[in-house]
Amino acid sequence: MDTMQMTLYDVLRMVIAFLLVITIVFINALVMGYLERKVAAKIQRRWGPMEVGLQGWLQMVLDGVKIIAKQLIVPRDADRVVFRVAPLLSFTPVVLPFLVLPFAKNLVGRDINLGLIFIIAVSSINVLSIFVAGWASNNKYSLFGAVRSVSQNIAYEIPILLSLLSVVLITHTYSMQGIVAAQGTVWFCLVQPVACLIYLVSATAETNRAPFDLPEAESELTAGYHTEYSGFGFSLFMIAEYANMFIVCAVATVLFFGGWHGPFSGEYLGVLWFLLKVFLLMLTMIWVRWTYPRVRFDQLMNLAWKYLIPFSLVNLLLTALIVKCI
Amino acid sequence: MSSVLAIDYMYVMFFIFGGLLTAFLPFVIAWLIRPKTVVTNRSHQTYECGIEPFNQMWDYRFGISYYLYALIFLAFDVDVLYLFPVVTVFDRVSAVRGVSEFFIFIGILSLAVIYAWTKGVFTWEKKKA
Repeated sequence: MDTMQMTLYDVLRMVIAFLLVITIVFINALVMGYLERKVAAKIQRRWGPMEVGLQGWLQMVLDGVKIIAKQLIVPRDADRVVFRVAPLLSFTPVVLPFLVLPFAKNLVGRDINLGLIFIIAVSSINVLSIFVAGWASNNKYSLFGAVRSVSQNIAYEIPILLSLLSVVLITHTYSMQGIVAAQGTVWFCLVQPVACLIYLVSATAETNRAPFDLPEAESELTAGYHTEYSGFGFSLFMIAEYANMFIVCAVATVLFFGGWHGPFSGEYLGVLWFLLKVFLLMLTMIWVRWTYPRVRFDQLMNLAWKYLIPFSLVNLLLTALIVKCI
Repeated sequence: MSSVLAIDYMYVMFFIFGGLLTAFLPFVIAWLIRPKTVVTNRSHQTYECGIEPFNQMWDYRFGISYYLYALIFLAFDVDVLYLFPVVTVFDRVSAVRGVSEFFIFIGILSLAVIYAWTKGVFTWEKKKA
């Protein structure tokens, strides 16, 4: 009897959590799409979108309507079923990490005790969807983009794992709320500066952002893995990319920048601090994109294998040593 | 299985199927509201920057280096996974034993990178003309 009541309550909570998460994913894509165009324009001394609404803020909404009405083209030579499945496969896993992100002290979808591992596991499905999309398109640009993306993502996954592990060595828990709670007095970006730096660099590479955006380098591969996609298929890839940016920045916020901690962060107001930190990090990623030129592919791979991985291994060893000495 | 764990799984399954449905719904909407489109003979051609497509994609080769990187990744990443349970219980073992075993494990682990480095996996040779 007792379990039945709990289930009804949980079902309601689950549905509301899901609707909120979907709202965040779509609004995040709109806001980030607008911000990216506007910040890029300001950096290049242009105006950016100006026509629709004040400062062009309605532009992304209209673009969304337009893109839904666009023709969905499946190329003749493509693997038809797999080609259609790939966008769905890219969108579905980006919804899952939002389940465990702690937005505020009492505002979290579900505080799973393996939250961090869950996020790492789920976000690596994204690589698979990129490869599926590139392979099924039967297009040379798509395939090369996909191959690059896979080798880049698996290379940068290791420094991410190692830098996250050195934080968990201090907290001894994978629960996202537990990690945030451990940073009440001092943020981990001060305790673990090397891990923080390594994570931020690898996160930029993991989301295929410039200067590591080799998989979709437009000057050589037109658009990389989504060259053949049109209409909402393309749109799902873009939404997933922006949601992935949100996720890596949110993980960075939780692990290194104190999560929802801040002045006046009560039971729920911490969400403002959390979103502020996440959006500052995402603005930094946009800023980096329009500042640095794209690297060469062997430089990209060797940055991970020759520098980031050895440094994060040494950092992990030092952390283990210091944790035991104190 | 405890009920907390069962609810965890329920959430995850709900989010997976909900996510799939959310990704699928816009396609239905697009199918309903789309204007009438003209399909020409070339609409479904593979994109090739304006020229007639030639050959299939699997006629092309990419560098062997990608394969080697994937191999080191397998050797390395699977071993890193063993560290995941270790770091959660690291405070429960004695200092000497914990640190020394940690150093031995990481030492053996980094041999994979050192081996690949000395074998020249990380140097990309210039293509000979």
